[in-house]
Amino acid sequence: MNKISTRQATFVYIVTGIILIIFMIPIYLILASSLKPSADMFSRPPTVFFTPTLQHYVDLFTLRPFHQNILNSLIVTLGSTAFSVTVGSLGAFALSRIRHPRINDAAFWILSMRMFPPIAVVVPYYIIFKSVGLLDTPLALIIVYSTANIPLTVWLMKGFFDEVPEALEEAAQVDGYGIVEIFYRITLPLAAPGLAVCAVFCFIFSWNEFLFALMLTGSSAQTATVAVMSFWSSDAVQWGRIMAGSFIILIPGVIFVLTCQKWLVKGLTLGSVK
Amino acid sequence: MGYVNRRNRTIAGVFLLPTVAVLFLTTIYPMLYALYLSFRNYDLAKPFIPRIFVGLANFQEVLTSGPFMHSMWITFKLMAVTLTFQFVIGVGLALLVTQRLPGMAAIRTLLLIPMMISPVIVGLVWLFIYFPELGYLNYFIGLIGINPIPWITSTQWALTAIAIADIWQWTPFVMMGTAAALQSLSPEPYEAALIDGNSRIDVFLYVTLPQLKPVLISLLFLRAIDAFKIYDIIFVLTKGGPGDATETIALYIYRQSFTFWRMGVGAAASFVSLIIISVLITLFFKSMQKSAVAR
Repeated sequence: MNKISTRQATFVYIVTGIILIIFMIPIYLILASSLKPSADMFSRPPTVFFTPTLQHYVDLFTLRPFHQNILNSLIVTLGSTAFSVTVGSLGAFALSRIRHPRINDAAFWILSMRMFPPIAVVVPYYIIFKSVGLLDTPLALIIVYSTANIPLTVWLMKGFFDEVPEALEEAAQVDGYGIVEIFYRITLPLAAPGLAVCAVFCFIFSWNEFLFALMLTGSSAQTATVAVMSFWSSDAVQWGRIMAGSFIILIPGVIFVLTCQKWLVKGLTLGSVK
Repeated sequence: MGYVNRRNRTIAGVFLLPTVAVLFLTTIYPMLYALYLSFRNYDLAKPFIPRIFVGLANFQEVLTSGPFMHSMWITFKLMAVTLTFQFVIGVGLALLVTQRLPGMAAIRTLLLIPMMISPVIVGLVWLFIYFPELGYLNYFIGLIGINPIPWITSTQWALTAIAIADIWQWTPFVMMGTAAALQSLSPEPYEAALIDGNSRIDVFLYVTLPQLKPVLISLLFLRAIDAFKIYDIIFVLTKGGPGDATETIALYIYRQSFTFWRMGVGAAASFVSLIIISVLITLFFKSMQKSAVAR
């Protein structure tokens, strides 16, 4: 961009500064409230300087089985991520290498599978899982999350595979490699960064998901997002616990933003912005 | 044809098979099941009553009775408001954070955080902010002399409260997409336009904006698809209420299916919403292909 004067720079800093502060307030509130003693939670005027306490975090793991909820979230998240990246990268390789005039339609069709409203299929899932005894199990959520994660992986990995030069694969074929060997010995290692990106997106999506987790789990497979919501009960709202749980849940997303910002654009805009 | 000869194409089909098989079982099958349910009278609270075929009665109820049309109106109203603010603020922010000034990259990174937060957490923190009697927002607007606003408990304000939370979460998305697009544009046209003595606003409107258009259209459809599905934030803040003031399509389906246990009606509404979102998805793909050609 072009050079700007000191006065203009001051203007830019002031405006972005104000917007930044406004946008950071809710995040500050989550952290601050998770550390505030319950008595200070809504004091007037709000206490900015308070003696931080880890009591709410301790309560989460002693009065509530939050470690169990986190474990459930991790099982579901890692299970779905591993399954989706495996199946999705195979599909992406096929879409990347098959030459056919309608192959783009197939790619779009697969991608559209993740765009349908979850609420529209939650009833069928509920009935199907109930009839096969999968309600309230991690496996049910692994299956459901994969329906969103596989299309995303196929879509993103296709882009990464497209950039691997086919000449390398042709050379390997001349050397007598079969296509399966070519895939996992040559193409996949070259597209490894893509696998990491897809894995992270699958992880964050599954970790943050709420609607399916709410409908399809009960007490035994309850994930962290549903557990935090359950601290909200009409008789006594445990704000300290809600905020402590919320803070723990938002950590992976924040780490992702701080470390792989470059991939965020590609993944979230589905490649429509370069 | 390259090295992928006929034999290898067959194998490539095998590579594709797991994806197609899994998606068929886990997406197409539930959708077909929803279609089946939409023609039945199915009360989940009374599972032993046979699921009678009722023809198009569920669709008739959905399309001709008030509540579904009302939820459609709420959904599109919310979409129009949130998208307008997200794009105006988001594009403005993108212009600011792409200035080459020290510290801007860090500010931009921090601004991306809201969209990576689970929507249920977003709902909970805004519930904390809006909370009747105790919430901080009313305290702070009280300091500047504004009377307390019943953010989530009045039909007049509830939708605004939800819109603010959604705008907070998704404005960064528009900023991020626009900023990335801005940085991929070549600088020459601006410099030429500025040297010619045009004002910055003119340069933005007549030089930058036309170049951003394909990206903005793609982002718009992506946001519209998401806005159409909005559920979590509303579920936490108002559960669709007070009354039906914030009942979007997703909340309508939820209420029919899991409050009234009328699975047939819920499924019919689901199907209508699938058709609407298919239109949005098709428009998104069209916009993507167009911008790929333009590139």
